[in-house]
Amino acid sequence: MSLPAPRPFVLLAEITHRCPLHCPYCSNPLQLASQANELTTDVWKRVLDEAAALGVLHAGFSGGEPLQRSDLPQLVAAARAAGLYTNLITSSLGLNPQRLEDLKSAGLDSIQISFQSDEESLADRIAGISAHALKLKAAQMVRDAGLPLTVNVVLHRANIERLEQIIALAEQLGAERLELANTQYYGWAFQNRAVLLPTRAQIERAMPIATAAKKRLLGKMELLFVLPDYYSNRPKPCMNGWGQKYLTINPAGEVLPCPTAHEIKSLRFDNVREKSLAWIWKESEAFNRFRGTEWLPEPCHDCEFREVDFGGCRCQAALIAGDATVTDPACELSPHRGILTQFVEASQTGEMPATTAWVFRRNGGI
Amino acid sequence: MQLPSSEMRPRLSARARLQTDKVTGKPIVLYPEGVLMLNPTGHAIVSLCTGDLTFDEMVAKLAERYKIPTAQISAQVAEYLNRLRERNLLELQEANK
Repeated sequence: MSLPAPRPFVLLAEITHRCPLHCPYCSNPLQLASQANELTTDVWKRVLDEAAALGVLHAGFSGGEPLQRSDLPQLVAAARAAGLYTNLITSSLGLNPQRLEDLKSAGLDSIQISFQSDEESLADRIAGISAHALKLKAAQMVRDAGLPLTVNVVLHRANIERLEQIIALAEQLGAERLELANTQYYGWAFQNRAVLLPTRAQIERAMPIATAAKKRLLGKMELLFVLPDYYSNRPKPCMNGWGQKYLTINPAGEVLPCPTAHEIKSLRFDNVREKSLAWIWKESEAFNRFRGTEWLPEPCHDCEFREVDFGGCRCQAALIAGDATVTDPACELSPHRGILTQFVEASQTGEMPATTAWVFRRNGGI
Repeated sequence: MQLPSSEMRPRLSARARLQTDKVTGKPIVLYPEGVLMLNPTGHAIVSLCTGDLTFDEMVAKLAERYKIPTAQISAQVAEYLNRLRERNLLELQEANK
């Protein structure tokens, strides 16, 4: 640890794990934090101030479903007072005109609503609850309130064929940004990956649709399309490098270098109840363990792409190879790539999964 | 992408916010999932994107401030505005708003 710690830009504040939805693609941990163990309003306010002082510019309020906490407007107000750009990342369940007004008065900058599909019956099947109609209403409410709307749709085998219709829905709703992110296989999603991973044919059909829409909507709607890294030859530059730009605080107050770092069982994460955010960011073992490129194993250490992808995702290394310190198995140069390839090839049947095959997220854990 | 008309009145989108960065003291534009660190020229341009001025009026103001002929900076300003527009950070209002 010779270099000074870099500046964090983004804080993901997972203020609760409670959620009315049961999406099988959820990347929350299987062991969800209980309400009793959630940070108090005052601790969150302190932490938001500390984050801004460290250089953070963005606060995303997420979960779980952040609207489950009644103090959300207070937290948004605290973030705004600290100069942070505030984004609510929500299913929209629990939103009504009064709450929206409260959030807007608190200074909320933008709202991201998740949709499971464009089509109600499929969307509700994925969410495990009747949510789609409520989401359509909520999106309208957000537009009526004059707040910028982002639509986020997590893609997987059961909804990726609806890409065109999903894009049309986002346009119809007046979204200014659309995130079409293929499922990231962590937490509940990892449990379900055999039924969630799209086939190669599905990906090949989806790509030109996304590319064309991106071009067509330039200047009107920002469109982000993320491919599943199981299908790529190179790993993703996960979080733009460990402990470089991002930090997540989970409902219990643990500070994580990425939202799914709970997958790495060998790491211990310090808690904002006990330590300052600055100390955790700069000094803690968890944040320094994979910071920079010095620690990189072979074949990453001498690889020409080491400053491009930083060895990829630590959580994926832990989940697939059973060792967080090795090259991300998504990389074709990884000695563990075969495990992933075998899995991908076994997933090419293209059968539409029955929902009975899904492990739905439950608040009590698995 | 071309600006539709010199009579359009560029305004920073409601999803974007211009503020001073606490760490560097420099101007930044914040928007969902992103940030632009502005150089002095960028700051001068963005500061004029209030919806009150037409493109031509903006260029005239900048030309006066920097003592450069309008013809020389017009293309540069248009290019900068187009970059903002590609990120969906700019609203172009009709001339008679």
